[in-house]
Amino acid sequence: MRVAFATEENNGLNSVVSSRFGRARYFVIVDYEGGEVRSHRVEVNPGSEARSGAGIKAVQKLINERVNVAVAGSFGPNAMTALEEMGIKHVEMSGITVEEALNRLKDHL
Amino acid sequence: MIISVSGGKGGTGKSTVAVNLAILLAERRRLVMADLDVEDPNDHILLGVGLEDERPVNIMLPFIRYDDCIKCGECGRVCDTGAMLISPDGLPYVIPRLCSGCRACYFVCPTKAIVEGERTIGYTYHTVVERGSRFDLVTGMLREGEEHTPPAVLAARERALSLPADLYLVDTSAGTSNSVATAMDGSRLVIAVTEPTPLGLHDLELILRLTQKMGIETWVVMNRSGLGSEERHEEVVRSYGSEIVARIPYSRRIVESYVRGEPITLLYPDSEEARVFRELASMVEGVM
Repeated sequence: MRVAFATEENNGLNSVVSSRFGRARYFVIVDYEGGEVRSHRVEVNPGSEARSGAGIKAVQKLINERVNVAVAGSFGPNAMTALEEMGIKHVEMSGITVEEALNRLKDHL
Repeated sequence: MIISVSGGKGGTGKSTVAVNLAILLAERRRLVMADLDVEDPNDHILLGVGLEDERPVNIMLPFIRYDDCIKCGECGRVCDTGAMLISPDGLPYVIPRLCSGCRACYFVCPTKAIVEGERTIGYTYHTVVERGSRFDLVTGMLREGEEHTPPAVLAARERALSLPADLYLVDTSAGTSNSVATAMDGSRLVIAVTEPTPLGLHDLELILRLTQKMGIETWVVMNRSGLGSEERHEEVVRSYGSEIVARIPYSRRIVESYVRGEPITLLYPDSEEARVFRELASMVEGVM
């Protein structure tokens, strides 16, 4: 299971999950298997610098990274449509670290 | 000849000025008025007329022939608006609402797997107005939820220019966006309506910069004159080689005409405000 957390800081699992998805600065991408973190890395969100269609550019990044679940405080309508069409689950959660968010999510992953 | 009414800030009275000018100029000239504020056209409301003779504004919408798609992803890379998503299996997926109809994907596709469809993003209307004088009003209107204004502005503009006239009077939207520049393109003169407020001043300077870049002579009309200081406005206007050519007093009569839906040149033709509009109209006739 690969989970992407929208964040504003490049601080690995200690980054705080952002309230926004499309224009968040980074995605912390976590590979989670058998109840534990196998690996994680940080990727710049191309949507953060987009003039328009930020949400879609962010979704495209997650598709390219083969992500299964996206986590952010809120998702725009375009991003929501695209995520649903592409079969990527989205979870609304923010203001806590990636690690804390993973703990809350783990029973569902 | 095209003359545009603009001004940067919203709510300064662009449409009020445009509508009253149209009524006065149409007394002696064959006039077509174009309401190109496609996100919120309201000249017809101020004139108390309806929107008639509807025509759709269609833009290209890509359709994909998946049998011919080789999953190269070129269409997704070239798309500037994010309307083309490349799915995990490499096939493109179109999000219509984000598509501006630019055709870049269509041109870049190496196997011609993209075919040209259509989508209606708005409408244009043509109403014959008989309010004191007689003229044509062409209105552009974007559909609710649509994001790309320029195609609707262009379609309404072209429809207006296809009608015979001595003078085309264009009413633009607020701001200095692509849509405003598209609306004003080819104008002999821009009438920039402002008001004596800091925001009026700020946006006036933006529109003066735009018209200077476009090389269009610009006159400034001060609406709600007397409400606040106009000194800084005068300095800025001078620095752009322009001039405040008319001052419309801040008055109860204008508000009343607005509330009653009756342009002031018709409601109170002998008022001070109507006199200012008549002077402005004769100045405009001077450049024709």
